[in-house]
Amino acid sequence: MNTHLKIANVDMKVIETGADAAARQIPPLWPLSSSVAVNPFLGQMNMSLAKAGALLARVGGVSVTMPRDWYVARIETGEISDEDLASALDASPHGDKPLHVAALKVAMRSPALGRKALPTVADLVAEASLTDWPGILAERIGSWAGGYFDRGQALWAAPRGRSAWFAWRAYATHDLTPEIMGLKGFATFVAEAPDSPSEAIARAVARLGIDEAALESYFHQLLFSLGGLAQYARYELWRAELAGETDSAITDLLAIRLLWEEALFSLQEEAVADEWRRVARLHETPVEAGGDDVIGEILQEAFERATQRSLAETLAAPAPTVGDDRPKLQAAFCIDVRSEVFRRALESIDPSIRTLGFAGFFGIGAKHRRFASDVEELRLPVLLNPSISSCAGCETDRDRDLATRYRARAKRAWGRFKLAAVSSFAFVEAMGPVYVGKLLRDGLGFASISAPNDPPPRFETELDAAARIAAAETVLRAMSLTENFARVVLLAGHGASVVNNPHASGLNCGACGGYSGEVNARLLAILLNETEVREGLAARGITVPEDTLFVAALHDTTTDRVTLYDRDVDAAAHSADLERIRQWLETAGKVARGERALRLPRAAGAGDIDSRARNWAEVRPEWALAGNKAFVAAPRIRTAGRSLEGRAFLHDYDWKQDSARSFGVLELIMTAPVVVASWISLQYYGSTVAPNAFGSGNKLLHNVVGGIGVLEGNGGLMRSGLPWQSVHDGERLIHDPVRLSVCIEAPREAMTEILRRHEGVRALFDNRWLHLFAMDKGGRLAYRYAGNLEWVPVDFVSIGRDIEAAA
Amino acid sequence: MSYDMIPLAAPAVLLLAAAFAFLRPGRRPRLVPGLIESAALVALIVAIGSAALLVFAGAHTGPVLGLAGVGLSTRFDVVSVTMLVLVSFVGWIVLRYSRSYLDGEARQGAFLGWMAVTLAAVLVLVQAGNLALFVAAWIATSVSLHRLLLFYGDRVQAVRGARKKFIVARIGDGALVGAAILLFSGYGTFDIGTILAEAREGAVPAAAPWAAGCLALAAILKSAQFPFHGWLTEVMEAPTPVSALLHAGVINGGGFLLIRFSDVMLLSPGVLAFLVILGGFTALFAGLAMLAQSAVKNSLAWSTIAQMGFMIMQCGLALFPLALLHIVAHSLYKAHAFLASGTAVERVAAIRRPGPIAIPSGRAVLRAFALALAIYAVIGLTFGFASKPPQAIALGAILIFGVAYLLAQGLADAAPRVLTRRTALYAIAASVSYFALQTGTEWLTAGALPQTPAPGPLEWAMLTLTVASFGVVAMAQALFPLWSDHPAAAGLRVHLSNGLYANAVFDRMIGNWSTRNQS
Repeated sequence: MNTHLKIANVDMKVIETGADAAARQIPPLWPLSSSVAVNPFLGQMNMSLAKAGALLARVGGVSVTMPRDWYVARIETGEISDEDLASALDASPHGDKPLHVAALKVAMRSPALGRKALPTVADLVAEASLTDWPGILAERIGSWAGGYFDRGQALWAAPRGRSAWFAWRAYATHDLTPEIMGLKGFATFVAEAPDSPSEAIARAVARLGIDEAALESYFHQLLFSLGGLAQYARYELWRAELAGETDSAITDLLAIRLLWEEALFSLQEEAVADEWRRVARLHETPVEAGGDDVIGEILQEAFERATQRSLAETLAAPAPTVGDDRPKLQAAFCIDVRSEVFRRALESIDPSIRTLGFAGFFGIGAKHRRFASDVEELRLPVLLNPSISSCAGCETDRDRDLATRYRARAKRAWGRFKLAAVSSFAFVEAMGPVYVGKLLRDGLGFASISAPNDPPPRFETELDAAARIAAAETVLRAMSLTENFARVVLLAGHGASVVNNPHASGLNCGACGGYSGEVNARLLAILLNETEVREGLAARGITVPEDTLFVAALHDTTTDRVTLYDRDVDAAAHSADLERIRQWLETAGKVARGERALRLPRAAGAGDIDSRARNWAEVRPEWALAGNKAFVAAPRIRTAGRSLEGRAFLHDYDWKQDSARSFGVLELIMTAPVVVASWISLQYYGSTVAPNAFGSGNKLLHNVVGGIGVLEGNGGLMRSGLPWQSVHDGERLIHDPVRLSVCIEAPREAMTEILRRHEGVRALFDNRWLHLFAMDKGGRLAYRYAGNLEWVPVDFVSIGRDIEAAA
Repeated sequence: MSYDMIPLAAPAVLLLAAAFAFLRPGRRPRLVPGLIESAALVALIVAIGSAALLVFAGAHTGPVLGLAGVGLSTRFDVVSVTMLVLVSFVGWIVLRYSRSYLDGEARQGAFLGWMAVTLAAVLVLVQAGNLALFVAAWIATSVSLHRLLLFYGDRVQAVRGARKKFIVARIGDGALVGAAILLFSGYGTFDIGTILAEAREGAVPAAAPWAAGCLALAAILKSAQFPFHGWLTEVMEAPTPVSALLHAGVINGGGFLLIRFSDVMLLSPGVLAFLVILGGFTALFAGLAMLAQSAVKNSLAWSTIAQMGFMIMQCGLALFPLALLHIVAHSLYKAHAFLASGTAVERVAAIRRPGPIAIPSGRAVLRAFALALAIYAVIGLTFGFASKPPQAIALGAILIFGVAYLLAQGLADAAPRVLTRRTALYAIAASVSYFALQTGTEWLTAGALPQTPAPGPLEWAMLTLTVASFGVVAMAQALFPLWSDHPAAAGLRVHLSNGLYANAVFDRMIGNWSTRNQS
């Protein structure tokens, strides 16, 4: 493209830069079939919470902290102490913060300013014409986009293989709705719009008189107003860029939204022109955190410090003593906070059981085809590109694979028969009465649920011995599991068995791309049992005893039952061990269910948990990661024997092993699992403090669109984030909105060095989207990262004692 | 007081439970969810008991508990008892679902109460023995439903949808009241059984055709027929169980009305012909619109409009037993489809797994249609073509066109032999099941519902038109992948997916997007 093409004195390069910058303020949204938690503030990581608050208030009317009275109530009950307030105030980097705690307490009692977004042209025209144009255009764009992004809901698919801009123009030139609603000549206006979306944007910018300085702010607002739709387009861009390509959908959406602005401006130019000029000027002013934003940030920080205080006390409690003898079982679970409850339960059964925490994809970054499927599932963290491919079943399963496919295809043909025009009438009259049975089965919860049980997976990518050995070594070192192997080592991925739940994949393993984790665990277990690999490992200094067996497993987080995949491997010599392990797991499950039942509504005891998983009307089958507040990377002994209430990510890490290898594992932890955990933490945070903007709304109204997302109610824009029922039990919030406290047992210099090398990660900590603590050799929180590569000592435990003494 | 009053116990227990719920309208009301579900289960047992009574005592109307023929009375016949069992079964499932689903909602108790009231109103409607009770239950149904549609009354879209529904429902109420007055003036009684018996014997008072017209209008409005369909696609602003109850219970009111008064409807062939045209058009138009919906609940709503159109068309063809079968079958299917709409993500993801879809060529489609007609001939001869009215044979042909689509998918060149065998097997099973159900229904309703009269010229014209238009659409559907991507079809898709803008015009007429209305 001609980079110096100018339309009405607008530089195209500037326009494109502005559009791109605005697109990067929008977080991506994964489709529901493989959804993972996303940090809704992803575009604002380079600013403080207060500044992000000011920005999001301006573009979306969003508040990024809880209402003031929420904090006030916690201060009054003493949950947030004056020391918390003082230290939060002290740590605040903002110049115009209150001078002392007393001033802060006065300021917090005056209600925060109303959070009103700057009006768009559509808002102004709505006011002038008394017609809800923002609602109409959202409904129209949503209606088109549902078809454009549809992955197979509609039998009559919208035309494919074109850019969003092209497809929308084809749609909008036919759609009569806007004109019926009073926007005369809109179809013609669309038909005559420039073929290039950039030119359309440039034309609208010129027509609306937007100055260069206002572009990013205004564009950001328009994209923000498209909610989950813009985020889904951002996801397309994310995926494309990860694969080294690019995607224009989000810029196209911006052009579409701007075309509406332009058309509406022409509709009511006289009435809105003056006000619009004023608004356009406001977009030019740089965003600054206001006094209100700063107070919100300080109160939030104080609440987090209160949370950290109780975390510090838990960690300071004396650790149980553990012998050096060989454990009977080592069980590695995902770092997911739900594993903590189960691990604690399992360890409590027998002192010879050890558990470990590691990212649930177990270092296997594969795209996987399940049995009898052509679809490649990316079962790895979304930050990574798949390096290998795998599939279920081998050559001998071919016949069964084909037979399964034929069954699935016949079922699919039947599904189309059920929905197609004319044949749907035949379907209803012939098959309707069968639904008596289906209503009874589902209504009474008779449908059985079973763990995924494909034939054993295998790598499709040819991996030679060296590559297999290297992969095995990397994973074991990253798990800090290099000696004292038990006779049986379980590798437990996790998944959730729920029914009739559009958000089911959100309950699965995030590290496995929103799929259940058994495939990765099975691939690794098979690999680690190979003789060749064992020999290679020994040569590299990791001696796995001959009688050690790696077994894959799947932890069902809804029912706390564990399935073993022991048939994948030669377990003949270990049948007695496995029998005992199954009993342990069964007992641990019972304990974990009992503990979880206390938190769940309508669950009197452990027995109520199973029926929830099968209940098709259950909107709270489990609490997933609600309540998450900490990430601990340390040997398990630092956390063992103490309850972290299912609120902590636990990653096993032994810096003493790592220091000899220039802290490679530490670097990996801080740049991958910690970042993923920050996405989870901030998704919960956003969905709690701003459910309208960053949550997907009420589950009772959810309407799945295109197989990829949910609408709330009839239509409009796709929603993103967690449903309200996932953070709230009807009476109170189940998730305390806190930014994650990352606690790592490692030398501070090593962490500083890593932060210095990774600017993006450093921004997370410097702007306090995450808190970072260094643990001392007793496992206590000893130093707090204060930003700017500096550390300050902390003494939570004595503060806690002081408070108790004062009270 | 006699056993004739037993069916009234079904709505009565629900109303009692509702009264209790209204005393505890808030969040997690103690005992209420369990009590409401139990009441629905009792209602189901009562309905099944009523069916036994019908077998035991035969069709009749119970005595009126009231004054001058106005009050509580129950009609016992296959129509009322079938509807009682159907509605109470679906109602029980829906209320059981609500028990978990609504847990923790701020107005949980009130919701359950209004669900029970709505269900009770429908149960009264389907058993009403006199005109006054019928009209009262009809109005009560839509009034209590209105409360449910506005359960989230602060949602602008909920208010918009409910407003449209409200307007359509009030016009429908007017039409029904008009029909009741005309029937009373024509036959001199409120008793529905008497009116039907006289109409069947050929008594045609001057008011009767007008009454049939009013009944048809009320049915069209209640069952969301073109161009009054728009509201139905916009009431997903209430919790899913409301949609399930609406689509499986309340919406059937229109069809039930026509079946209930089938003897009166038969007196006016012109009105019936109109119903064939409007119902047939709605069925085809909404069936196509449904294909282009990308949101699952919207797709289901369009499907309901289409199915209601088909059922109204069956009424127009005087195939009342089949219309009743359609109501039953559709209610069961649609209740499940709504309640299970959360499976849409998994369902869509599963579509692509087994590999690409084999697309049938034009020749394969023709072969499929020929094969389907052959299956029809064989089955028809087995079930006895000769004894069936031409209308039923024509309808069977339409449904066989639908089955042809299934066959066509298996006959595609790229389809493996196994798939061909399986789809053929499915096609035969569907056809046999359909004709068996049809025969069973005719046997059950013999006597209770009027015979389909022999077609005159008007009816023959209607039959030809219907079979031809459904045949063309079925053929187009089977050939769909061959033309749907054509640019010429893109515009058609936009117009159809927006329901030919009837809804937008309605919105504009009542100022539904005005910000004045958004308080």
